[in-house]
Amino acid sequence: MEVAVDVRNLVKVYEGKTRALDGVDLKVEAGKVFALLGPNGAGKTTLIRILTTQLRPTSGEAYVFGLNVAREGSKVRRLISYVPQEMSVWVDVSGYENLLVYAKIFGIPSQERKKTINEALESMGMDEVANNLVGTYSGGMVRRLEIACAMLIKPRIMFLDEPTIGLDPSAKKVVWERLTSFKKEYGVTVFFNTHYMDEADLYSDEIAIINRGKIVKLGSAEELKHSIGGEIILFSLENTKVTEEFLQKIKGLNQVKDVIVNDSELSVLVEEAETALPHLMDFLRNNGVLASKISMTKPTLDDVFLKYAGTRLEASGRLAEVTSVRRMIRRG
Amino acid sequence: MREALRTMLVMIELELRRLRHDRTELYFRAVQPILWIVVFGPVMSSARAINTGDIPYTDFITPGVMIQSTTFLCIFYGLMMVWERDSGILKKLLVTPASRYATVVGRSMASGIRAIFQALIIVPVALIMGVRFVPNAGYFALAMVIIFFASGGFAAISIFVASFMKTRERFMGIGQAIIMPLFFASNALYPVQMMPPALQYFSAVNPMSYVVDAVRGLLITADLSNLLIDVAAIAVFDVVMFALASVNFKRIIE
Repeated sequence: MEVAVDVRNLVKVYEGKTRALDGVDLKVEAGKVFALLGPNGAGKTTLIRILTTQLRPTSGEAYVFGLNVAREGSKVRRLISYVPQEMSVWVDVSGYENLLVYAKIFGIPSQERKKTINEALESMGMDEVANNLVGTYSGGMVRRLEIACAMLIKPRIMFLDEPTIGLDPSAKKVVWERLTSFKKEYGVTVFFNTHYMDEADLYSDEIAIINRGKIVKLGSAEELKHSIGGEIILFSLENTKVTEEFLQKIKGLNQVKDVIVNDSELSVLVEEAETALPHLMDFLRNNGVLASKISMTKPTLDDVFLKYAGTRLEASGRLAEVTSVRRMIRRG
Repeated sequence: MREALRTMLVMIELELRRLRHDRTELYFRAVQPILWIVVFGPVMSSARAINTGDIPYTDFITPGVMIQSTTFLCIFYGLMMVWERDSGILKKLLVTPASRYATVVGRSMASGIRAIFQALIIVPVALIMGVRFVPNAGYFALAMVIIFFASGGFAAISIFVASFMKTRERFMGIGQAIIMPLFFASNALYPVQMMPPALQYFSAVNPMSYVVDAVRGLLITADLSNLLIDVAAIAVFDVVMFALASVNFKRIIE
């Protein structure tokens, strides 16, 4: 197994106070699609910026294909490409011209330039609009152009920071279809940040859950969901305070594997929901706890996140997304 | 080294491509220098307040006004590059094999391309106002080359200064704060000899004075006696500013 990214006890402290990364350990296998999943402020962008040699770690080591990102930055930059979260193309020239400028910066020989650019445009489905000004593109097209740009040098590894932030579901799907087929063709490793669980779930081979600068869990989407085990019964409680004693009692019940309380929601993890539910309902009623709604689900990545990070990802993600989309529009 | 040169040339090429698509900024920016030449020049020259020797006053200030407008453009160009820190463009450029130094110098030099176009817009207006240029294409071309190189230095000043700024809003006032002292304490509008001694000293270290002097010699007076000194001063200015801007560029990224 070839290791694409190797991170050892990485710490990044901004201006001596904000601890963005707090001892991250991580290994990513070459040729995989790897998702770093976490809410905003978890340290995802900091980690990607260190791996792409933009920032120096405060302590710890990070390697990309065996090269130290702090000491061998210029060698690392020849192997990687990177799509930042914010818009990173010039809007006052055409899509083709954007790629041409980068092809020249990357030093692609002039006889191959045209072919390489056209291939990248075609594989992102941008060939028809290539000569239009980028200012006339939709958000999804801009993203595809940025990814086309990252494809130019056929990198060993691509770093994508929130690749589909602010895109509508169909544009999201197109971006990922194109990325997946590019990956298949060239065997490139893809390392991406996201706070969308569905994206990590659908498109990654492996997921690391990051929260407050620490990797809290690592595995494939299936493994992560399996690690919770069984099924979840979710009770929406009616203005009832759940006591610690009650929690201990419910944990002691037969069939119950784990219990998590989040605001007025009580998630009970059981082996089989159908048989456990009647007992649980009796138990709740006997303890004076009223439920206004009950639902049964298979575990999602959000449940995984809740279990290992202690909060729900969705709630913290939503506000963050609104702000970053606004930021994109303002800058656009 | 070849790579660094390539990066710089690509940045200049990008600027030409941008200009090909949209030149509106240059037209709007031309309004102010045109007013200097069309209004201020004739009014001051009929007042005969400033002795410019054998040269009509409007002719005298034409190079000064050209340099003022190109310098203004470059100062804002440099600031714009710092704004790009908020977008992903700088981040992406930093992750390419291009050296950071070449990126800074290349972007600064690219402003020179814009500056040349800006200067060229002013020429026909000056001709209409009766300004007599030295009829020598070689001199004219050399003047444009000097404007090009000097512009890079001015863009680098603003990259350097802006790297200390934390918010966008503060940038706005800074352009004015840099440009106006340079302009008024230079030989752009009046001969240096007319200034109080303190200002004369400042003018001697003011890069704009050297640029104006060189361009005035080449375009208007055909007096090239100071040209070598001027070019040397501009070269020193460029090297110092490029070095300062490149060193401070780290602050912009982090």
